[in-house]
Amino acid sequence: MLQPDPVEQLEPDEGFRLDALIGQLSGSENEEPAPEQAQIRETLYNFGFIDEDSKREVRRKTLKAVAIPGHLVPFASRDLPVAKGWGTGGLQLTFSIIKPDDLLKVIDQGDDDSVNAVNLRRLIQRTTGVPITTDTTAASIVQTRHRVPEEPLHEDQILVLQVPMADPLRWVQPYIERSTEMHAEMDYAPIWVYMYESVVHSGDMDISSQYPVMVEGRYLMDTTPCPRYDAPSLHMSETLYLYGAGREKRIYAIPPYTRVEPLEFEDFPFRTEHKPEQSCEKCGNSNTYLTRHYIEGKHGGEGRWAFFCSDTSYCQKQILIKTGKKAEKVSGE
Amino acid sequence: MSDNKIVQNKKWVLRADNLTRRYGSGCAYCSTITGPDHDTNQCQICNTVIACSGISFELGEGETLGIVGESGSGKSTVMQLVNLSVPADEGELWYRQSGEYDKEPLNLLTLDKFKRRTFRNQQLGIVHQRPELGLNMNFTVGGNVAEKLLMAGWRNVGNIRQRASQLMELTELPPTRLDDDPHTFSGGMLQRVQISKALSSNPSVLLLDEVTTGLDLSVQARVLDLIKRLQWELKIAMLVVSHDLGVIKQLATRTLVLKNGQIVEHGLTDQILEDPQHPYTQLLVSSTL
Repeated sequence: MLQPDPVEQLEPDEGFRLDALIGQLSGSENEEPAPEQAQIRETLYNFGFIDEDSKREVRRKTLKAVAIPGHLVPFASRDLPVAKGWGTGGLQLTFSIIKPDDLLKVIDQGDDDSVNAVNLRRLIQRTTGVPITTDTTAASIVQTRHRVPEEPLHEDQILVLQVPMADPLRWVQPYIERSTEMHAEMDYAPIWVYMYESVVHSGDMDISSQYPVMVEGRYLMDTTPCPRYDAPSLHMSETLYLYGAGREKRIYAIPPYTRVEPLEFEDFPFRTEHKPEQSCEKCGNSNTYLTRHYIEGKHGGEGRWAFFCSDTSYCQKQILIKTGKKAEKVSGE
Repeated sequence: MSDNKIVQNKKWVLRADNLTRRYGSGCAYCSTITGPDHDTNQCQICNTVIACSGISFELGEGETLGIVGESGSGKSTVMQLVNLSVPADEGELWYRQSGEYDKEPLNLLTLDKFKRRTFRNQQLGIVHQRPELGLNMNFTVGGNVAEKLLMAGWRNVGNIRQRASQLMELTELPPTRLDDDPHTFSGGMLQRVQISKALSSNPSVLLLDEVTTGLDLSVQARVLDLIKRLQWELKIAMLVVSHDLGVIKQLATRTLVLKNGQIVEHGLTDQILEDPQHPYTQLLVSSTL
């Protein structure tokens, strides 16, 4: 069976101005990097961009977050050449754990090629030089925003999630001091009222993303704007999940094999938004999270709505396995 | 426990011994230069405010105890101390379950935060003067009543709504308005919603903090009638704080009179209103319109 290439160099080498600069400084402009080039790169850009003290801070707080699953750990968030709110928390986590022999995958809402994913990937690659892949199973670190990959992750992988709003109690308690106390006292009644109200207003649980979950029966945790569909994949997962909120200066984590239970009522149990009758128009799968896209009609004709897999690399892989070819563009007619 | 008892009642459910709450660092002279005799509760040396000092009382099973005094006399501080929402600087607050008078009472002030919250949710119900203090105005009326039930571990929406409807009927509110916004309710109705919420967990003690203040006379009368009916039907112990002697006369069997953070007179409500002994109480009674 045809398998996709696990390692794909997404960025052309000539695009790396830093490498060209290093080549000039070291006097060798050969394709093969000279040993001294690594040292020059280190002086120009620290490995993983941020300084070692900052990395140590992030690592220490990450360890604390892993030790207390689901607990929001404050950390000294650094400025990065990315606006806060555009993945600085996830970036700092990735920069603090990445090693030269890692294989990185960066996705945004399941998509390898969205603007946010491409920008962050470029930054990480230019400041670390690590290889990049789109294959979820091959990557050692997966940085993601708003999605958990479809393919099951394993013990030797780390999933880093970018978090815009870390505290699940923010909807019901805007004061951080008070919500911290509520977490300490397990005072989660207001979020239950929020869910009760959701049932009363819509007749069912209408929280489609950021679904609140209870971690190890102790801490209420925000699943980030990941769809409700992804919440079950956190339960007893083999992988370490790290969540970084750069703007809110919080890290939290789900270590491997941790109980993660979505909040639910006895008469309104938790359900995913999966609809088996819908399937991806590219790969034909109906067991993945699908997103709706508008397809422009040919020659100015009327377009239509279509469903595609949110996880593009998984979709590509499925097409490749089924047909041996890459995906073709879906037509509006 | 201290011997400074106001009433010897063997069947008490709640008992306060020398409760004191200060706002400020305090000094050696605070206790000697503040209080009713000095007509101030602020220390002139260190500026500490003695919000209440040496408050002792017993609240019997099914009894209603009134606390009366002018603004700034420390009534609401006593209520906050009993509601475990502020810590006491001195004193003890004892609780024992109704009917379990032979058992060792529980000192509520020694509980950690988690146990305090659990106790407050399960055994205390409070009705505030301003509904927005007791209710979340962003939730529906049903959501507000449901909060204590959800806190107590109820996880069935159908059962929660049934219980909330029962409580609304009990407090003379139309159950059809369960899913309405609290902003669409009148002041008197909001007080009833607060009472429904307070009663949802079947508390041992109900705390009423100026419940009728700000309501017009006819609505005041209806709320007082409701409280009296609940008192009669549920046999629940109540602590009523008010500056209105009319409310105290209607509800309380015994009354404490507070001035500058200290109790100046205590006794049966009728006795206090008919034959006040302390000059301050005489002034309060004579000031009644």
